Amino acid sequence: MTAVDGVPVDPALESALESIAASETRDEVDEAVAPEVDDAVAPEVHETEPVEVAVADDSATAEEPAPAPALVLRDIRKSFGDLQALDGISLEVPVGSFYGIVGPNGAGKTTTLSIIAGLLRADSGEITIAGVDAAAKPLAAKRLMGVLPDRFRTFDRLTGRQLLYYYGALRGLPPAEVERRTIDLARAFDLTESLGRVVSDYSAGMSKKIMLAGALIHSPRVLVLDEPFEAVDPVSSAAILDILHAYVAHGGTVILSSHGMELVERVCSRVAVIVAGSLVAEGTIDEVRGESSLEERFVELVGGAGELEGLEWLHTFSD
Amino acid sequence: MVAHVLRLRLALLLGAFRGDPQKVTRGVVGGLLLLAATVAACWALLGVQESSTAAVAAITIFCGATLTLAFALAPIVAAVTDPLDPRRFRVFALAPDPLAGTLALAGLFSVPVLGLVALAVCAAVVWVAAGATVISAIIAAIIGVATCVLFARVALGVAGIIFGDRRSRELSGLLLVAVLVIVVPVGVFLASLDWRGTVPGPLQQVVDILSFTPIGAAWAFPLLFTRGDASGLLALIIALATVVALGFAWLALVRHFLSSIEKPLTTRERGGLGWFSVVPGTPGGAVAARSLVYWLRDRRYLVNTLVIPVAAVATVVPLLIAGVPANVAALVPILFVALFFGWLPHNDLAYDSTAIWMHVASGLRGLPDRVGRLVPILVIAIPVLAIGIPVSVALHGRWAIAPAIVGVCASLFFSGLGLSSIASAASPYPVTPPGESPFQQPQRTGSSGAVSQALVMLGALAVSAPSLWWTWLALTRTIEAASLALWVGFATGLGVLVVGVAIGAAVFTRRTGRIMEFAEAS
Repeated sequence: MTAVDGVPVDPALESALESIAASETRDEVDEAVAPEVDDAVAPEVHETEPVEVAVADDSATAEEPAPAPALVLRDIRKSFGDLQALDGISLEVPVGSFYGIVGPNGAGKTTTLSIIAGLLRADSGEITIAGVDAAAKPLAAKRLMGVLPDRFRTFDRLTGRQLLYYYGALRGLPPAEVERRTIDLARAFDLTESLGRVVSDYSAGMSKKIMLAGALIHSPRVLVLDEPFEAVDPVSSAAILDILHAYVAHGGTVILSSHGMELVERVCSRVAVIVAGSLVAEGTIDEVRGESSLEERFVELVGGAGELEGLEWLHTFSD
Repeated sequence: MVAHVLRLRLALLLGAFRGDPQKVTRGVVGGLLLLAATVAACWALLGVQESSTAAVAAITIFCGATLTLAFALAPIVAAVTDPLDPRRFRVFALAPDPLAGTLALAGLFSVPVLGLVALAVCAAVVWVAAGATVISAIIAAIIGVATCVLFARVALGVAGIIFGDRRSRELSGLLLVAVLVIVVPVGVFLASLDWRGTVPGPLQQVVDILSFTPIGAAWAFPLLFTRGDASGLLALIIALATVVALGFAWLALVRHFLSSIEKPLTTRERGGLGWFSVVPGTPGGAVAARSLVYWLRDRRYLVNTLVIPVAAVATVVPLLIAGVPANVAALVPILFVALFFGWLPHNDLAYDSTAIWMHVASGLRGLPDRVGRLVPILVIAIPVLAIGIPVSVALHGRWAIAPAIVGVCASLFFSGLGLSSIASAASPYPVTPPGESPFQQPQRTGSSGAVSQALVMLGALAVSAPSLWWTWLALTRTIEAASLALWVGFATGLGVLVVGVAIGAAVFTRRTGRIMEFAEAS
């Protein structure tokens, strides 16, 4: 339960997350209040999933008799014009894992995560989110996920409070519930003082934090985070990590992309390496890195450091 | 207790002169303005003594009814906090009935009510001069003032129950706009009437109706008695019944306030939500609130609306030069205003840029997205049209044409909104990204932008052809076609709106992947 990097989880924070992360009953209340959300599909989702039984139990999420995996990708292909961005990605993310997707720039990490999140449609292939077929029931699948994209804007003319309210209201949560969770989340992410300010005035790290808080507000089963630690200072990223660890410990699943190998190695339980739109390695951290460090293994998989030939002019100075 | 509360009331009045100098100045200036207005009104009122009895009746009844209505609505609109709110006396364990009486009495001692009393006295003088008995004039003045004061009390109480602590600047703004939407057309209508010595027919009809309503009866009965028929008695009974009913309502409110406590406020944290606290807490409501914030805060939307006054002016000049009679040309700008308002949101989605991912990732359905986005344009356009149409018709000079103009505007505006709902989901085109200069246009490849712009505008014109045709008939041949144009206009406009929003919603739900690709590409 304690964070991997030795920062103990703040108990207040943990309790705040407990209230957010995992209450099946509250989910059902939400459905009753907001009939707009896929009533035909939702009950089925809950039936097919025995996941939450394990939630209160800190000890052994990994040893549970395997429930439907949090995410299954089968042979996902996506091309943008002539560019083949994803060339048959297949992977499986078990419930309760902290899953890292790594790869060099332009390898297709963001495209993969966008397809998982339902922001892009794959050309072919199957996506199953916690047992729900995302192609057949996109709305039901989206309800299960919280999303933090990397390069996208947010509605940054809203104040922090308004933005969190917007996140919650779009998910169909009743206003009183949104306001309650806003207070909890703001406290957990240390944003209470900033809620009244317009989000465009936030620093990069604060924007990340408020968007992550927004991704959590409807207590999703799966968090899809694209570069959650980019532009975030070490203090904030330690705080975010605490929150994510608590979330995973309570049965949530985190899928994140990063190009910080050291961080992935430290934080994630499993990792997938994507190079040029193909999956080249997948497994627990130990399986993937073998004898060397993850970074060395990664460089090896990607195909060695770039050649220096053709840059001879750089070896003499022009002045 | 009565003496205590009255002394408290006086102390509160005097307290306005203490404290923050800025606040005091504002209070003093406001008071002086009110005083000046009262003096002017009294002087004008005493001036009508020479007019005919019918004119005196019409003026006093109309103004009296308007004032009473103002007393009933002002507390709701202005979001004033009542210093003598019955809830504040909750802790003193007072009997509710005497408290209700005392507070109503104390309500007399306020600056606006003093102005009202002065006006009522002048009205009584004028009535007596016009032939009413002194005793009926005095009774009418007393009943009139009592009605106003009780209306204000009850309105304050009801506003407290309905809005609670949710009063926000936004809500007050909306209500104020709603009041303007009613007041301005009425004012324009009155101003355009032909007053030569007699009461104009339409006003006489309005006054005849007002005389027997709760807001007008008190001001009507003294002069109705001079007619010698039963109408005076009827008006008196209505006026008395109003006071009694309001009295009971006030009593019930005070009892309610003293015997109940508000729910522990879950709304306490709603502070700082702005428009989000005004709209219903549904996805559609949230989209509406977000759009309102953007319409009012993002300069790109503001620049778009600039097209409207430009279009309105630019269309008249060539018409006048081409020799179209001025009274016909006067009707044209408002039609263009309606058309452009309907056309404005045809690319609404593109203004979100990549932030639209929030709607996509939340699994937001098409309908709340489409409907929510139309709310700001409705909030802005309906007041503008409600004010613009009567002004245009007044310039035109013939009120019988008004229904036709309303019909055509409804048809152009609503069908434009319907078609825009489809266009903005089906073929958004790149616009200036958020935060950049609104005058800088992005690179556009292809002609999709021009096509959807033209299609929405021409489509709105095409479906409005029937109501335009009947309006033309009403202008040139038979004025009876005006009401036909009204109904046809509303039917086509609302029909296209409903169908357009439904199609737009389906398109949005279907095409979320494409919409994200568009957002990323632009």
